[in-house]
Amino acid sequence: MDGPKSSVAKGRRGRFTRDLITFLVCVGPAVLIFSALMLWPLINMCRVSTFEWRRLTGPKTFVGLANYGELFTDPKILVALGNTARHLFIMLVVVMPVGFMLGFFLSQRLRGHRLLRTIFFSPAMLSVPALSMIFLGVYLPNGILNHVLRILGLESWTRVWLANSSTSLWAVIGADAWGAVGFYAVLFFAALSDLPRELFESAQLDGASYWTMMWQIGFPLILDFFGVALTLNFIWTLTGSAQYVLLLTKGGPGTSSLTLSYYLYDRAFVTDRIGYSQAIGLLLLVMGMVGMVLIRRLTQRSYLA
Amino acid sequence: MFVSRRFSVAKLVNYIAAMAYAAVVFIPIYYVVVSSFKGNVEIFADPLGWPQTMSLGNYLRVQERVNAIRAMGVSFGITSAALALIVVVSAAAAYGIARIATRLRNTHLALITEAYFGLGFLIPAFALLVPVFLLAATTGMLYNPLYLILYYVASNLSLSVLMLASHMRGIPRELEEVAEIDGANRFQILRYVILPLSRSGIMTVTVLNFIGIWNEYIFALMLLDSQFRTIQVAIPLLKTIRKVDYGLISAGVVVALIPVYIVFIFFQERVIQGMLSGSVKQ
Repeated sequence: MDGPKSSVAKGRRGRFTRDLITFLVCVGPAVLIFSALMLWPLINMCRVSTFEWRRLTGPKTFVGLANYGELFTDPKILVALGNTARHLFIMLVVVMPVGFMLGFFLSQRLRGHRLLRTIFFSPAMLSVPALSMIFLGVYLPNGILNHVLRILGLESWTRVWLANSSTSLWAVIGADAWGAVGFYAVLFFAALSDLPRELFESAQLDGASYWTMMWQIGFPLILDFFGVALTLNFIWTLTGSAQYVLLLTKGGPGTSSLTLSYYLYDRAFVTDRIGYSQAIGLLLLVMGMVGMVLIRRLTQRSYLA
Repeated sequence: MFVSRRFSVAKLVNYIAAMAYAAVVFIPIYYVVVSSFKGNVEIFADPLGWPQTMSLGNYLRVQERVNAIRAMGVSFGITSAALALIVVVSAAAAYGIARIATRLRNTHLALITEAYFGLGFLIPAFALLVPVFLLAATTGMLYNPLYLILYYVASNLSLSVLMLASHMRGIPRELEEVAEIDGANRFQILRYVILPLSRSGIMTVTVLNFIGIWNEYIFALMLLDSQFRTIQVAIPLLKTIRKVDYGLISAGVVVALIPVYIVFIFFQERVIQGMLSGSVKQ
């Protein structure tokens, strides 16, 4: 009686081992590449941040948490935090609601909405260098921004946008926000399109206005997705500004357009403080985590509440 | 989505805002395209006018200055190698997570592996620039295109694996069982049953990653030297400190965005749906 039972068990165990090996073979390469080039750099970042390390070929000295202490006394950190806060404000508080409104408008599927959608989404296909070079031309002294202002009779408003310390940061933010509005509008359009139409039909029968349907029905129903988009935008803005700043202003004039992520780049590759740059990197990561948790808290409430 | 046919002031304001935004988006793109056919004098005299003579001079000068043909070749090579690797590696991992782990009757295994790749969503790529650069330097892989390719694979695995895994979960188990009865082994099942049925997911992953990798700038800038200069790294080099030659710059921009724009026009719905479901995954 024992025989067949144990051979079944053995067969089962054989199959289990075979499946386990198959699983490891399948998942192995991905786990390996991911660990080596994502997880290890993340760990190494913490290690590097405890060194005074000026340049790649130079000596490293262990300084413990000194680089973190410096974060609190470095006046440039404060400037960079202020500039990043302005950037975040525009991207989260201005771009997202406008994007949602335009997305709701697209979801009405009026004549020409397809073309409009293609136009709205086009900037999202541009690389950072392409977008930055386009905006170089927009902001030139005789570029199109000043050209359009002159056409509108606003000659006194014209500026050398990127070389003026009171406009350079806003010029960089403008270049980033320019395409972001349309990108989020199209994503919100796609999210709204998945909603059942009956909800809006019955609301309209009840006499709900366009504005009410947008903010009282459409918005709460995609609030979860709005939170996800907000999180994405937050992370991209926090860390992505470095490339626009690098290509458009290099943080200048002075420190007028210095953002936190560009400051990291500057410290690592321009002003030779690799160890310190990684303390800034960890500050960015912590800010990212805290922001994600906060956004989640703010947007995760039940529809019925 | 329900279509409201009733007139309202809010809707009119929204309509005007949408048209204004479309113009704001369209004008700079139009400007860069027409400027690429103009000389600098004409660009600054009449920025928004149609070019008087369609001159390809700027394009020839882009080629002279930064060898755009070679840079496009490098971009194509790196992008397609990374895409091929991503598809193979992430399809295998997704198969393991969605199909094999469940056979082991150990759901934790699938959950843990998925969560591990999900970590990638929490790490913004730019934050890792310096440690990824340092790793290349210490392993002697700096300026080696293979390293950049592997980095692109790693940084795009999270989205690719999770997207394909959720696709593969939707494939009915019976199909696998039939193949098994016919004597197919696990890899034959992957090759002949799972992969063909995941074609749509693979397509979305490929299109999204193509756009992301083709457009990537800062890692290509730091990890490769002038011998393997990608087109994205080449464009900003057209900007010189002394004088802005905008015709030249715009020709470079147009060249770099053509491949992505073609893909976008053909796969617009897929790109939008992919980005929607991709972001929900996070």
